[in-house]
Amino acid sequence: MLISSVKVGEHFYLTLGVFKLHAQVFIVSFFVIFILIVFSLLGTNKMSQTPRGLQNFLEYILEFIQDITKSQIGEHYYRDWVPFIGTLFLFIFVSNWSGALIPWKIIILPEGELSAPTNDINTTAALALLTSLAYFYAGISKRGIRYFSRYIKPTPILLPINILEDFTKPLSLSFRLFGNILADELVVSVLTLLVPLIVPLPVMMLGLFASSIQALIFATLAAAYIGEAIEEH
Amino acid sequence: MDSIISAASVIAAGLAVGLAAIGPGIGQGTASAQAVEGIARQPEAEGKIRGTLLLSLAFMEALTIYGLVVALSLLFANPFTNQ
Amino acid sequence: MLYINSSTLLAEGGLFDFDATLPFVALEFLLLIIVLNLIYYQPITQVIDSREDYIRENLNKASIYLDEANELTKNYELELIAARKEAIRMVTTSQNEAQEFVNTQIYQAQKEAQELIHSSMIQFEQEKNKAIYSLEKQVEQISEQIKNKLISTYIKK
Repeated sequence: MLISSVKVGEHFYLTLGVFKLHAQVFIVSFFVIFILIVFSLLGTNKMSQTPRGLQNFLEYILEFIQDITKSQIGEHYYRDWVPFIGTLFLFIFVSNWSGALIPWKIIILPEGELSAPTNDINTTAALALLTSLAYFYAGISKRGIRYFSRYIKPTPILLPINILEDFTKPLSLSFRLFGNILADELVVSVLTLLVPLIVPLPVMMLGLFASSIQALIFATLAAAYIGEAIEEH
Repeated sequence: MDSIISAASVIAAGLAVGLAAIGPGIGQGTASAQAVEGIARQPEAEGKIRGTLLLSLAFMEALTIYGLVVALSLLFANPFTNQ
Repeated sequence: MLYINSSTLLAEGGLFDFDATLPFVALEFLLLIIVLNLIYYQPITQVIDSREDYIRENLNKASIYLDEANELTKNYELELIAARKEAIRMVTTSQNEAQEFVNTQIYQAQKEAQELIHSSMIQFEQEKNKAIYSLEKQVEQISEQIKNKLISTYIKK
């Protein structure tokens, strides 16, 4: 009787013309997007001056995101970046928690298994590259060509380190998120393999907590990079 | 020489995770000690201290995770096996 | 039977498999930003901002009203104090006046009584003297008569 199996590195391949996709990522991410859109539509249906219920919760989340953005980017310019940082935070948070809480094993795929989309290096790399592009865009649109003067900012000797930093920032962002989520799932799977019933539960709790912290960290770091690119020295 | 490569990869994976856990472990312990001292010194700043502590812990955790990623890639995505 | 299934292919599968998933996820994420902006961020930001403005406006109006009310109470209190002082002053002056009037009346009455006593004493003295004088005269007359009577009786003998 198969109680648990760990499949690491198997993907459910889908070929769209010339493109080869990991379809399991897209299935779960469509589900995540569906949840986000449904909650937003339900919450903003009939809005009143004094909020109650779902609208109250949505406002609380938005104020939390605004607080993160404001404290990293600053009072003047944070409003334009709230959608980006907010969507980053919400997408990562909901996908991590849905990967951990929802029993995806019920749906049997021909190859690979369904799990959190951030389980896959492609997703996290995509998010990290988008963040990198975002802070380049922010810096250039705000300060023009003078933006590139930040490479020689404290002293020109640090030029290679600054250039290297431009590569390590997205790398570390993607690997932090990917490693955390993958390690989480692997630990839970291996523990379930050994002691199926009660023992994995604290590790699952830790996994939920750690994944939400990772969402917060990704969003905060993205905001910090954007703020660093925008600020005038 | 498949078995040598597999043996070496397994040893390397174990070493990677084990050694990568030392530094962040010490760092996180020190950070938590200072945070607890800060709370004891001024209990009304507990919210901010706890928030900063969690953020710093996650940063240090990431360094351990880098080691784990190397170990996992050695075990499951080994570029040296010829399969 | 419990078993672990693991695949170690690098070209097909494996852990670090970068393929066309990456740009598609990026595209999907950008679409998500646009959609969430339309249905979530903008309406809720609007509600939060309008509530903030409403609160701030009402707070301003309320503090203006509070200032006005405080000033009015101050004015009223001053007027109240002035009116109270005025009333006390009037009461004391009229009290004093009444007291003076009473004093003068008493003084007058006393003086009149004294004069009355004085005049009646003088009159009494006068009457007394007159009475004593007439009495003396009568006593003289009577003693003359007695003397005459005695003398007459003596002579008759």
